[in-house]
Amino acid sequence: MSAFLDLAGLDDRQEAALERLILTLADSKRLMGIRYSDWLLGAPSIETGISASSMAQDEWGHARLLYAMLKELGRDPVPVEHDRPAGEYASVAALDEEAPDWAALVATMVLADGAITSMLRSFASGTFESASNRVPKMLAEEEFHASLGAAWFRRLAETEGEARNLLLAAANAMLPGLVAWVGADDASARLMVDAGVIGPAEDRLADFRDSVRDLLALLDVDVDAVPADGEWDAARGRTPGHPGEEAVERARGDRNRALFVE
Amino acid sequence: MREITYEVFARKDRGDPLVHIGYIDAFDDETAKVYAWKTYDEERWFEMCVVQREAIVPVTDGEGLFAQLRRAHG
Repeated sequence: MSAFLDLAGLDDRQEAALERLILTLADSKRLMGIRYSDWLLGAPSIETGISASSMAQDEWGHARLLYAMLKELGRDPVPVEHDRPAGEYASVAALDEEAPDWAALVATMVLADGAITSMLRSFASGTFESASNRVPKMLAEEEFHASLGAAWFRRLAETEGEARNLLLAAANAMLPGLVAWVGADDASARLMVDAGVIGPAEDRLADFRDSVRDLLALLDVDVDAVPADGEWDAARGRTPGHPGEEAVERARGDRNRALFVE
Repeated sequence: MREITYEVFARKDRGDPLVHIGYIDAFDDETAKVYAWKTYDEERWFEMCVVQREAIVPVTDGEGLFAQLRRAHG
């Protein structure tokens, strides 16, 4: 490992690029937790619901750690976590809406959570010291999510009925946006690559594709042939759109605003 | 979807006895591992393992849990 990034030496563009990267990862973790929490009571078994609950807690813990990294850039994470409107969220588009069925949640578990993990693997291997210190534990916890997701994905993909069709529809709907997000290669992303904070777009995409290729092949989907979503919001580092208002109200903790203890 | 019952055993610290802490239903070993770890997460276990209930052979033929389960389910 070469020397860690000197934060004091960043220019304004580099600082903004690092802030965007941290935000898109933190917001994606927070929304991933919301999407797991949507299924605490509707999962196919008690064990699955408990696992969804535990994974939601994991994701929210990861989000909290990532938001806290903003302090190193002189940003206060409290208003970032609790005051932003939905339109400012930088979470990956696959998490904008609740999974409508269990198959869609399984696709989200494997593909969206997998895409976030690929980005975090790259972040953990880079020059931002806090990521190097804190992200490996997140990745260790994510191994359980990946294991559960893969088992359910195989199970649903190998059926002949509606479950397979729902899984396929959900995967096809979210893949272009995920490819665009993991493979972000705009000016802001390249600044982070040049600073060694994350790896090149092609390496991140290769990691993501390697992690899901065999599972998607069960649905006759070739992940190497999936094009990136052509639309891009460079300000937030995601495709256009934003999470639903109800999810953001939960993410911000609107109902408990009077009880905040920070 | 056929599910398999797994018994869950764990020890809190190195050298502690392996204790039966419960069971979970899962459709294969991989999901059993995740369900067990996520369900019985009240401790920071040093070791946890799962065993398919039907693989357990009771040695005593009395009122023990596994002997009763074996009699009840053949």
